[in-house]
Amino acid sequence: MAFKRDKKEEEEGTGNPFQNLDKTAVLQEARTFNDTPVNPKKCTHILTKILYLINQGEQLGTQEATDAFFAMTKLFQSKDVILRRMVYLGIKELSNIAEDVIIVTSSLTKDMTGKEDLYRAAAIRALCSITDTTMIQAIERYMKQAIVDRNSAVSSAAVVSIFHMTKHSPDLVKRWVNEVQEALNSENVMVQYHALGLLYHIRKSDQLAVTKLVAKLTKFTMKSPYATCMLIRIVCKLIEDQNAASGDTNWSNSPLFDYLETCLRHKSETVVYEAAHAIVNLRRTSARELAPAVSVLQLFCSSPKPVLRFAAVRTLNKVAITHPSAVTACNLDLENMISDSNRSIATLAITTLLKTGSESSVDRLMKQIATFVSEISDEFKIVVVEAIRALCLKFPRKHAVLMNFLSAMLRDEGGLEYKASIADTIITIIEENPEAKETGLAHLCEFIEDCEHTSLAVRILHLLGKEGPRAKQPSKYIRFIYNRVILENATVRAAAVTAMAQFGALCPQLLDNVQVLLARCQMDGDDEVRDRATYYHSILASQNKQLIQDYIIEPLMVSIPSLERALHAYNLHPSPTPFDMSSIPLSTITTSDPTEMADRLRTPSGGVASEPTAQATARVESYYEKLSAALPEIANLPGTLFKSAAPVMLTESETEYVVRCIKHSFQSHLILQLEVSNTLSDQLLENVTVQLEIPEGYELIKETPIPRLAYNETQSVYIILQYPPSLADSVTSVGAVLKFSVKDCDPTTGQPDSDEGYDDEYMLEDLEISLSDQMAKVNKPNFLALWEEAETDESMNEMEDTFCLSKMESIQEAVASIVNFLGMQPAERSDKIVAGKSSHTLYLAGVFRGGIDVLVRSKLAVSADTGVTMQLTVRSTSEDVCELITSTIG
Amino acid sequence: MKLFGKLANILGIKKKEVKILILGLNNSGKSTIVNHLKSEEDKVLNIVPTVGLNVEKFKYHNVGFTAFDMSGHGKYRDLWEHYYRESEGIIFVIDSSDTLRIAVVRDELDILLQHPDIVTRRIPILFFANKMDLRDSLSTVKIATILGLERIEDKPWHICASNALNGEGLQEGSEWFTQAICENIK
Ligand SMILES: Nc1nc2c(ncn2[C@@H]2O[C@H](COP(=O)(O)OP(=O)(O)OP(=O)(O)O)[C@@H](O)[C@H]2O)c(=O)[nH]1
Ligand SMILES: [Mg+2]
Repeated sequence: MAFKRDKKEEEEGTGNPFQNLDKTAVLQEARTFNDTPVNPKKCTHILTKILYLINQGEQLGTQEATDAFFAMTKLFQSKDVILRRMVYLGIKELSNIAEDVIIVTSSLTKDMTGKEDLYRAAAIRALCSITDTTMIQAIERYMKQAIVDRNSAVSSAAVVSIFHMTKHSPDLVKRWVNEVQEALNSENVMVQYHALGLLYHIRKSDQLAVTKLVAKLTKFTMKSPYATCMLIRIVCKLIEDQNAASGDTNWSNSPLFDYLETCLRHKSETVVYEAAHAIVNLRRTSARELAPAVSVLQLFCSSPKPVLRFAAVRTLNKVAITHPSAVTACNLDLENMISDSNRSIATLAITTLLKTGSESSVDRLMKQIATFVSEISDEFKIVVVEAIRALCLKFPRKHAVLMNFLSAMLRDEGGLEYKASIADTIITIIEENPEAKETGLAHLCEFIEDCEHTSLAVRILHLLGKEGPRAKQPSKYIRFIYNRVILENATVRAAAVTAMAQFGALCPQLLDNVQVLLARCQMDGDDEVRDRATYYHSILASQNKQLIQDYIIEPLMVSIPSLERALHAYNLHPSPTPFDMSSIPLSTITTSDPTEMADRLRTPSGGVASEPTAQATARVESYYEKLSAALPEIANLPGTLFKSAAPVMLTESETEYVVRCIKHSFQSHLILQLEVSNTLSDQLLENVTVQLEIPEGYELIKETPIPRLAYNETQSVYIILQYPPSLADSVTSVGAVLKFSVKDCDPTTGQPDSDEGYDDEYMLEDLEISLSDQMAKVNKPNFLALWEEAETDESMNEMEDTFCLSKMESIQEAVASIVNFLGMQPAERSDKIVAGKSSHTLYLAGVFRGGIDVLVRSKLAVSADTGVTMQLTVRSTSEDVCELITSTIG
Repeated sequence: MKLFGKLANILGIKKKEVKILILGLNNSGKSTIVNHLKSEEDKVLNIVPTVGLNVEKFKYHNVGFTAFDMSGHGKYRDLWEHYYRESEGIIFVIDSSDTLRIAVVRDELDILLQHPDIVTRRIPILFFANKMDLRDSLSTVKIATILGLERIEDKPWHICASNALNGEGLQEGSEWFTQAICENIK
C-alpha cells in the first residue's frame, strides 16, 4: 500500500517524498519495530526509508546496522505479507554490514518451507545472503528440496541464489549439482534458463565439460527460449575458443555451427534474433555462412514490430565495419528505415549507411540527419558523431561538409558527454588531416566563446596553445584566448594564460603583445591565474631559449603524484642540497594507438575504450606504493622507479598455475614482480619461487618467495636484478621455472591432508627483457628544433645505420612496430601516415633509464620487391645508448 | 479451566497479546514445547535444532502469545539479550536428564537474572524441568536447589516437570504462566 501511495504522489509531481531523509532520524524511527503489537503500515514505511537510504549510498556503521537488523528481526511476529517481504529485502541489504545476521536462519528456513507461497522465493534469497560456508550445513537440505520444488518461483530463486553464493565460495555448489541437473528439465521457462546458467557457470573453465554439456543440449529443443538464447551464447564461445586453439577457420561444417543455423528457424523471435546476432558477430565468418543470418536481420528490418526493427538495425550498425558486405545487402531496407517514426531506429539506419556508403552518398545522408537531429536524445546524437568521425577518416576530402555539420551540433543544446564527443571528433580530424586544421580550430574557437563546460573549455584552450602557434596566422587565436581571460571562471582563465604563453614562446613576432597581456593577467583576482601569469611573464622576459624550451614549451613530464610525494618528503627533512628533479620518475604517456582508435570507431560510444588509458596513467604511481611495501630495500636503490612495463603472461591463461610478470626498471636495477595464481582447489603451495637462468652480466641481488599460496590466491614473487655493466648485454631473454612445494588438501575446506609436502616445478615461458623496458616516452613538442640543435651540440653522439625490414609490408606496419620496439614517443605527429605514400620519416623521443635523453629519426621507404628499408639515426648524450639501439634493431 | 476463562474476563483482559521468550540450553526441548502449544494446524512434524530464533504464535485461553523461541546453542546465547526488553514473560526450559550441563544452566540463569533489562522487573519466569520421562531425570526440587531458585525474590516464578513429547505437565505450567502474566499487566 505504501508503494501505491508513493507512486501516486510522484504522478502528481509533488516530488520525491524521501528526498531529505536523515540517517540518524530514520534509524531512530526503526525503534518502532520493537513495539507490541507491530504496526505493519508504519513499519513498512520506515523499512522503505532505510532501504532508500542504503540505495542512495548512505553508509551505515556496523553498530547502526546491527541495531537496525535486530530490531527488524522482531517484525517476524507480524503476519503482514508486504511487511514480511520488506523484511527480506532489509535482511539482504544489511547482511553485509550487520553482525550476527545468522540469527534469522531458522525463521527464514521456516518461511521458505512454509505454506505461504508469497514468502518462499524471497525467503530463499534472503537466506542465501546471510549464509556463509561455515553455516552451509544448516540449509543444505532445504536448498536441495527448493531447487526441485514444484513452484517455479521457488526453484528459480534457489538456483539463482546458489549462483550468487558461488561468487564467494565456488565449490559450494557441488553438493547440489544433481538437483540443478534435474531443474534443467523443468517445464518452466525461467527455471530451465537459470539452471543452465548455473550449470554453465560451474563448468565454464573446463572446456571438455562445456563441450559435453553443449553436445547433450543441442540434441533436443529446450522448451525455454531464454535457455536457448543462453545456449547459443555458450556455443559461440565454444566455437571461438576452439578456433583460437586450432587456428582452423573452416568450421562451417561443424555441428556447433549447424546448431546456430537451425536456431535461425526457431519459432521464437527472440531465439531467431539471438542466433542471427551471434552469427554475424562471430569472427572470421565467410559470406556463405553469413548469408542466412543476414537475411533474417533483413526480414526483421521490415517487421511491423519496432523492437525487431531496432534490434536488427542495431546489430547491423555494430558489424558495419567488420562485415560491410552483409550490411550492403540490407541497404534498401536501411534506406526505408531512414524515415522510421522511431527516431532511434532512423538514427541507427542512417549511421549504418554512412559507415558503409560511398563518398557520393555522404551529402544526402547528412542532410537527412539534419532534419531530425534535434529530436533525438544525446545518446543517439553521440552515435551520429561517431559515424561522422569514421567518415572523416574514410573520406578526408569530405571534411568541410562534416566539419560544418559538427559545428552546428556544437552550437546546439547538449550534455557534457555529447559536447565532448563532438570536440573529440574535431580534434581527431585536425590531427589526422592537416588540411582540416584551420577550419577545425576556428570552429573550436567559436565554441569556447559560449561553452558552459569548464573541463571542455580547458581542453580546447590547451589544444589552441599547442596548435595555434604553428598555424598560418597565429595572431588570430590570441583574441579568442584573451577573451576567456576576461569572461570566464578561474580554472578557464588559468588555462587561457598557459595557452597564451605558448604563443609568446613560439612566435617571436607576437612576444611583445603576449607579454602585455600576461602583465595584465598579473592583476587577476585568482591566485593560480596570477601565479601562472607571473611565471610565464618572467620566463619569457628572460629571453633564455633553454629556459623557455624546458619550462613553457615542453610540458612537465614527471609523474605528478611522485613529485608531490618527493616534495613532501623533502619538506619534512630539508637538506642543504637542492631538490633534484631528475630523481622523479617520468609519467606514463598515453597514446592513442591505431587499434584502440579502430575499436572506438566500432563501438558507438567512445567512453568504453578510453578507460584503459586512465588506468595506465595511474600505473606507475600505484606500483611504486605496492613495491615499496613489499620490498623496503628499494628505497636504497639509486634513482626511483623509472618505468613499469605492461604485464606479460608467462603461462597460458587457463593452466594450473598462472604466472604474470611485471618488469619494473630502476636506474641500474630491474625488479621482476611475478604474480602467481594457484587455480587448483586440491593443492596448497608453499615456498613458491621462480628460478631464473641469470643471463650474462646480470647479477641477482635479492629474491623473495611466497611462503604460502592457497587455492584461488594470487601473490607475487619479487626478484631484484642488477642490470649488466655493459649496456649491450641488457637486452636478452631469460629462462624461468616456477618451483614450489605442494601439499594436497581437501578442496572444500582447504585444509592440507598431511604435513608432508613434495617439491614440484613448472616450466614457464622465457622472459624477454627488451629495450622498451628501459625506455620511457617523452613528449617533445618541437622535436625538429631539438634535432637540429643536437647536430651541432658537442655533448651529443650520433649513430646511423640502414636496415632492411623485409617482414614488413607497409610503412604503417613498420612505424607501429618501431614505436613499439623502441618504446619511444612519436613526435611531430610523425606516426600519422598519409595512406599510399612510399616514403615517410618518423621522429621519436625518449629517455633511457638513468635520465639519458634519446632522439631518433627513422627514414622509411617501401618498394614492392624489397619491402621496407629504413635509415635510422640516433642522437643521444650517451654513446652506449646509441649503440644499444642500433645493435638491437639489427 | 472454565474458571480461569472467567477469571481472565473478570480481570478485564479479553484480547490480550503478550510477547514471551523461550530460553534454555540447546537440546532442552524448547522448540518441542512451543510446537506442542501451537494449534493443530500450525504444528510441524519434525523439529530441528534452531539456528538463531523462530517466532511462533499460539493462544492459551484468551491470551495470544508471541513466543521468541531462541536457539540454545552456545554461540547464539549472547544474542538472547536483544529480546529481553520487550518480553513480558520468560519460559526457561531445562533438560532434567542432562546432569552434566546443569552447572552451565545455572551460569546462564545467573547472567539472565542480572541483566539490566531483567534485574529490576517483576517479570514472571516459568521453569520447565523437561524430559521428565527419561530415567535419570532430576526432580523439580533437586533442580530448584541446584539452580538456587529460592534466591529469586522479586519475580514470580514456578517450576514444574514436563514431557514435551506427550504434553504432560505443560498444561499446569501454562496455566500458572498465563495467570502470572495477566496479574502483572493488571
Ligand atoms: N525424551 C524426551 N525427549 C524430548 C523431550 N522434549 C524434547 N525432546 C527431544 O529433544 C530433542 C531436542 O528438542 P528441541 O525442541 O529441538 O530442543 P531446543 O531446546 O529447541 O534446542 P535448540 O533449538 O537447539 O536450542 C529433540 O530430539 C526432541 O524430540 C521430552 O520431554 N522427552
Ligand atoms: Mg529449538
